[in-house]
Amino acid sequence: MKRVNILIAFVLLVFAGYYAWLTAALPDRNLPNTMGIDFFPWVLCAALTGLSLLLLIKSLFFKTSETCMYRVEWIEIKEMLIFLVLTVAYLQALDYLGFIILTPVYIATLMIGSGSRRWKEIALISLLTTVGIYFFFDKVFQVILPGGKLL
Amino acid sequence: MNDPLFTALFEILRFENLLASFAGVTFGLFIGMMPGLTVSLGMVLLLPLTYKISAITSVCLLLGLYASGMTGGSFSAVLINIPGTPSASATALDGHAMAQQGRAGEALGIAVIASFFGGVFGLICLWVASPIIARVALNFGAPELFAIVLLGLTLICSFGQESNIKGLLSGIVGLIIMTVGLDPMMGTPRFTFDTVELQAGISFLPAMIGLFAIPQIIRGLSGKSSVIPQYDEKVTGVLPRLRNLVKLVKSMFIGSAIGTGVGAIPGTGGPIGVFLAYDYARKASKSGNRFGKGEPEGVAAPEAANNAVAGGALIPMLTLGIPGDPITAILLGALLIHGLIPGPLLFSQNAHFVYAVFWAYLVANIMNITVSLSTIKLWVRVLKVPERILIPIIVVVCIVGTYGLRNTFFDTAIMLAFGILAYFMNKYGFPIVPMLLAIVLGPSLESHLRMSLILADGDWTVFFRQPISLAFILLAVVTFFGPLILPAIRSRFKKPC
Repeated sequence: MKRVNILIAFVLLVFAGYYAWLTAALPDRNLPNTMGIDFFPWVLCAALTGLSLLLLIKSLFFKTSETCMYRVEWIEIKEMLIFLVLTVAYLQALDYLGFIILTPVYIATLMIGSGSRRWKEIALISLLTTVGIYFFFDKVFQVILPGGKLL
Repeated sequence: MNDPLFTALFEILRFENLLASFAGVTFGLFIGMMPGLTVSLGMVLLLPLTYKISAITSVCLLLGLYASGMTGGSFSAVLINIPGTPSASATALDGHAMAQQGRAGEALGIAVIASFFGGVFGLICLWVASPIIARVALNFGAPELFAIVLLGLTLICSFGQESNIKGLLSGIVGLIIMTVGLDPMMGTPRFTFDTVELQAGISFLPAMIGLFAIPQIIRGLSGKSSVIPQYDEKVTGVLPRLRNLVKLVKSMFIGSAIGTGVGAIPGTGGPIGVFLAYDYARKASKSGNRFGKGEPEGVAAPEAANNAVAGGALIPMLTLGIPGDPITAILLGALLIHGLIPGPLLFSQNAHFVYAVFWAYLVANIMNITVSLSTIKLWVRVLKVPERILIPIIVVVCIVGTYGLRNTFFDTAIMLAFGILAYFMNKYGFPIVPMLLAIVLGPSLESHLRMSLILADGDWTVFFRQPISLAFILLAVVTFFGPLILPAIRSRFKKPC
């Protein structure tokens, strides 16, 4: 945990540096006697730097008070990557294929991905969910869902 | 009859508002009892719908979920010894023991009735205390309001965290994220990278959905939480006898009082309240030695407490604009969507709405006890719905919910980005709640800070000249440094064994 905290403190210090650089580049547009648009970002930048240094010092020189053993599980990372790729592909294809056609496929893929092998259940859930959500959002709440260019 | 108290009541009794309350209660019972799905997740799933309905109907929907989500959590705690919500953890101790003795129905009945007792107790406290606090807070200027928001954030960043440095870092990163978009006072773009979508800033709805839903989805997809034991026994005798119920009043009262008190302190939350209530009820009970072995009082006290927490948490949220827990933070977000800014001015300028909140919470509690008691046997069956079915549905609801915000997938991308961030934050011990709070409170924190300094011609001592702001700032400092310094002081004065 100690090593991870040191690494995180460094990452946050780099981020604080980047944020400071962005803040310094903000336009200088102020009314008389007012705090500029960069005032609050500078305060946050100072707080982030201070707290990151505190985390670094605490991790380097003191015993950690954290009792939990935090660690990333690779199976979850794998699932997360698959989920992200699938979702991004789904979002990209929605404009072309539309919500009604694509969503059952997306839901079925997620169900298969999470270990379901009951084909009837997969077909039923993916179709019913799509129709239910379409009806609820599109018809009841008037959220216009992508119709697709194919239809 | 033009009194806002009555006009608000008539408004709440309109069909669409009662329907919203019923829908919220039903959904809350479901979300609350499903292990792995939290009340906060339920709230963020419903949040996109609140864009399309009136503020009062939204409140009915969300308060219905809030009231029943806590009760639903006790169902799985009693039946399968897995609390549906963290606040139902103490209920499992005696509730499940009762279920093992074939008294599951009795335990569930007591849990529902105690929840109602706690909910109504919390509401009475809310009704009595909040106008008084709001009247005092009406005299606050920008420095005091800044100090209150700062204290609220510090409390939530520090309380109950493994490391309060990480809690504060989480809050600071949340505040940094909220600086993206148009500057609240000058209207100049900040950190927008010439992107049109970013000019309106990071909307907190996709951020909330990402922070709460995506880590649970990833856990669900990886099969981490999909093995839920089943309860196959018959549930009977749900309504306890009046004589037995009278014996529980003391425990329910203790639970309600502790729950409301703890709930009103920002950052403490339900789990602390329920365990305190359980412990006090055990000490105050004649049958304290039977606690943990299936004692009904051990169910009544924590259940009354976890519903009373809700009423307590609504006090600082409505009067000062400081949410007591993540659920009230989401509720605050829902009000902001409708242009309602919780705080002392809400009481003087929109008393009708404030009373509507009170009535809506009362209706939610009545609806909760009615629906829960009449459908307990049905809910036992619902507990058998596997996660492999729920997770894909939640994913699509999240995507459509964020898309529906501005009819663009930009917000969906924001949701995914926050989801990934939340996943890694969870993994490395960074709490999510401070970030959520910072996202909700960030704009008002900046506005009050800058306004105070403008009015004082840039003089920072403005925060220390007023006794109230000075007191709040000192409390914030103590809250942050206390946990760092106290162990060192204690170890210095500790006598060797």
